Amino acid sequence: MKRKILAALLASTMVLSLVGCGGGSSETPAAPAADSGAATEEAAPAADGGAAEEAAPAADAAAGGEETLTVWCWDPAFNLNAMYEAEKVYQKDHPNFKLDVIETPWDDIQTKLSTAAVSGDLSTLPDIFLMQDNAFQKNVIAFPDVCMDLTNSGIDYSQFAAGKTAYSVIDGKNYGVPFDNGAVVACYRTDVLEQAGLTIDDFTDITFDQYIENGKKVLDATGKPLISMQAGECDLIMMMLQSAGASLFNEDGTANIVNNETLKTVMETYKSLKDAGVLTEVNSWDEYVGDFVSGNVAGTINGCWIMASIQTAEDQKGNWAITNMPSLVGASGATNYSNNGGSSWAVTTKCANPDLACDFLAKTFAGSTELYDNILPSGALATWAPAGDSDAYGAPNDFFGGDAVSAKIVDFATKVPSNITGAYYYEARNAVATAITNYINGSDLATELQTAETTVNSYMQQ
Amino acid sequence: MYAFLIIVSFVSVFPLYWMVSAATNKSADVISGRLIPGTNFFENWKNLIAAQNIGRAFGNSFKYALILTFVSLVVSSLAGYGFEIFHDKAKDTLMSIILLAMMVPFVATMIPLFQMISKAGWLNTTIGFILPTISTPFLIMMFRQSARSFPHDIMEAARIDGLSEIRIFFQMFVPTMRSTYAAAMTITFMNAWNSYLWPKVIMTDATSQTMPMVVANLTEGYVTDYGMLMLAVLICTLPTAVVFFCLQKAFAEGITGAVK
Amino acid sequence: MSKSKKMTLSKKQNLMGWFFLLPGALLIFIMSFLPMFRALLLSFKSGVGANMKWCGISNYIRMFQDTVFVQSIKNTFLYLLIQVPIMLVFALILASILNNKDLKFKGLFRTMIFLPCATSLVAYAIIFRSLFANNGLINLIFVKLGILDQPYAFLTNTTSARIVIVIALLWRWTGYNMVFYLSGLQNIEYSVYEAAKIDGASAVQSFFKITVPLLKPTILLTAIMSTNGTLQLFDESVNLTNGGPANTSITMSHYIYDMSFKYVPNFGYSAAMSFLILILVAILAFLQMKVGDKRD
Repeated sequence: MKRKILAALLASTMVLSLVGCGGGSSETPAAPAADSGAATEEAAPAADGGAAEEAAPAADAAAGGEETLTVWCWDPAFNLNAMYEAEKVYQKDHPNFKLDVIETPWDDIQTKLSTAAVSGDLSTLPDIFLMQDNAFQKNVIAFPDVCMDLTNSGIDYSQFAAGKTAYSVIDGKNYGVPFDNGAVVACYRTDVLEQAGLTIDDFTDITFDQYIENGKKVLDATGKPLISMQAGECDLIMMMLQSAGASLFNEDGTANIVNNETLKTVMETYKSLKDAGVLTEVNSWDEYVGDFVSGNVAGTINGCWIMASIQTAEDQKGNWAITNMPSLVGASGATNYSNNGGSSWAVTTKCANPDLACDFLAKTFAGSTELYDNILPSGALATWAPAGDSDAYGAPNDFFGGDAVSAKIVDFATKVPSNITGAYYYEARNAVATAITNYINGSDLATELQTAETTVNSYMQQ
Repeated sequence: MYAFLIIVSFVSVFPLYWMVSAATNKSADVISGRLIPGTNFFENWKNLIAAQNIGRAFGNSFKYALILTFVSLVVSSLAGYGFEIFHDKAKDTLMSIILLAMMVPFVATMIPLFQMISKAGWLNTTIGFILPTISTPFLIMMFRQSARSFPHDIMEAARIDGLSEIRIFFQMFVPTMRSTYAAAMTITFMNAWNSYLWPKVIMTDATSQTMPMVVANLTEGYVTDYGMLMLAVLICTLPTAVVFFCLQKAFAEGITGAVK
Repeated sequence: MSKSKKMTLSKKQNLMGWFFLLPGALLIFIMSFLPMFRALLLSFKSGVGANMKWCGISNYIRMFQDTVFVQSIKNTFLYLLIQVPIMLVFALILASILNNKDLKFKGLFRTMIFLPCATSLVAYAIIFRSLFANNGLINLIFVKLGILDQPYAFLTNTTSARIVIVIALLWRWTGYNMVFYLSGLQNIEYSVYEAAKIDGASAVQSFFKITVPLLKPTILLTAIMSTNGTLQLFDESVNLTNGGPANTSITMSHYIYDMSFKYVPNFGYSAAMSFLILILVAILAFLQMKVGDKRD
């Protein structure tokens, strides 16, 4: 008796799992078909009858009734705010237009995106979502069916900073609409510099050699390092690398680590910064922010979005100033400009009304100075050139000593050398982080770089 | 002994004290390591309600956790009881097989599971949330282990008296195992309340977001308001703490003479 | 006649057993084994993103040549060997102290010791990072006491980063395990202890002679759980040290997650690594069952 039941149980499970697999394999060919039309994707949940919610608004939009788009992005004060402002701008000409913005952290967007793409069920995705620039190449290459090709969507890409647009260009096609600015700024506490007899001018258009020299003076006078950086995260390394237009990858996608002279210079410079005590490493992001907010360090170097965190230290109003970052010594193509972070908007292939989505983006993020003026107070700086000419960008900022910081940063952004992110960006970044950690602790640079390149190559040979 | 307990309690509670005091401080003070309570509590509260729909998320989490705890306890305790009381070789083997189910990292099974739930049209629903964790090998094993101490002679007596197996379970086993149920309830509620990876995959609507998802929202911006974040985290911690406090007597001072 | 009646009775009972466990078992087969089976198939495929091809067992070969994964196995086992025994013994001691009938403020102590595992992960991570920061409380105390000359970067040095992870785990999960022991102890008649006391047994003696043997089923349960939990350890590695410095504190699950959602995704390889965890846990659980799951 019990044998029979067990056998029946096992048999039924096997049938179930076979059905399950059958479902899986019959699904796989459907996935590439997504390109040929969102209709297939829409039909699936509708046929199910279950996810009627998803299908209903799409059908409406196609019928030309309600014009609603769903958007995923994170950070209410920044990105969500920008989307709401864009909605207002677009509604002036399109009174029926509506956005359904769902706050979703980047990690969650990535998880949802991967899960949906691998399952071959894109119906859960929104019409538009925000993507970290560093993850753009990876996601378009790994999930070619997810993002829509926007090259001929009517968006004028020539008006965006070239270095910024490059993040979302894959095989010569544009997949994203550039959004926020990640131009690197060097921020300093002018009151601390003063104690060492220095001013912000002593830090403008300088090299890292001069930076270290100045840093030693500040250290002697005040005991404060110039900068702190999160150990194991190589943000500064990547910024330094891009400031000379160098990348961890070659044009053809192969890793460029062992024979990368600029990378060697960067690593050596980073180590000498640390050895001189000008740079101190901390354990975590909270500690990094805490260091400059509570005045443990005399400044920082990061994407311009860091200024929002600096400004939470209200008691230091007027004591901060920004300028460009130091340049590398002995690297060809070295500049004082770089980029860190930032994100771009993508349109999914699931979008039932792609014309509407493209038109919306073209008339707002790629076509409205009004929008960029409205979102400037939140700290969102444009990478769209015409926005920088607006009067709002010339307004002085009292926190930073009355400097017109916005115009300055837009100017920085135009000078940033473009580089190659590469699909394997995060793998390479982690390998380089390992290398720099070991190098600082005394191991041989050439060996570490060799290991890093081998590691990256092993990921690429899958 | 008291000294030992006080030290252990202090170490356990200190970080929580830090969390409570951080919820009353300004963001800049929190990251510079201020330990004493401040005066920014209402400011943080105002910011928090303005930034996130805390009430809705709290309600959602509470609903999901409560339903899951109830259903899961019934299904798992029935199974655990069945495995132990009527144990034979086949069932013991099946138990070992079932144990395997908890040993694969969730990351691996998440995608096939998503496919199933999505096909059934259960995204953004309570059933989608609870279905994968209603029956867990861990709870089944927990009830199986505790059923081992359920006295057999009493069961035999009940059978001779003509009580049906189902009535034996509900009228004798359930009341006797009060402490196990209370412990299982605490643990299940806590896991359901804190679960994050699964809801973040299946909940794509703003209206079905849970508390941990709201807390994650707060950490993702360019600027993190630590005072506000800590307040949100505090609100997220309270329900589990309250549930535990209410149930702890039940599981630590269990049998009150039902079976002696 | 009576013999055949007995047969039907035991048959009936057997059927009853299946009836009891059917809903639970069926749900596990559908919600766990079905996805697991599909993950198993996936582990024999390889490729980027949704574009997967059959590749035989090459994923299983690749993982042993993957230096980061091998490192993560070593790290995870280090945590397992150090943390699990300390935690379980400590939880057992706490539970038997708190089971004492004469103890005052029991409810309060119990709640305080349990609270860490109720704490949301975000808070716990921020708190621990802040405590062990360069200018954090721990460094402050150590420098004041003269144990250290200058602040020590706990989370950026291999040994101390691992120790911090173990401490964090102990802090968070000891109270959790204590709950099971406390609930298990209720099935031991308190009079047994009183009788032992009258017979002159010390507290330590009755702990080893009464508590431990009678709690064996519960100890087995917590041992299997903790082993499983540690081998799937994820939160602490991600949130406290981010696997660093130089991957010396990364865990297997953390690496699998990175492989799936941070790096260029190869879900086949991720699935293969997940099945290695399954095999490792299964072996350990099997050994534990062999030792602990005997009905006396």
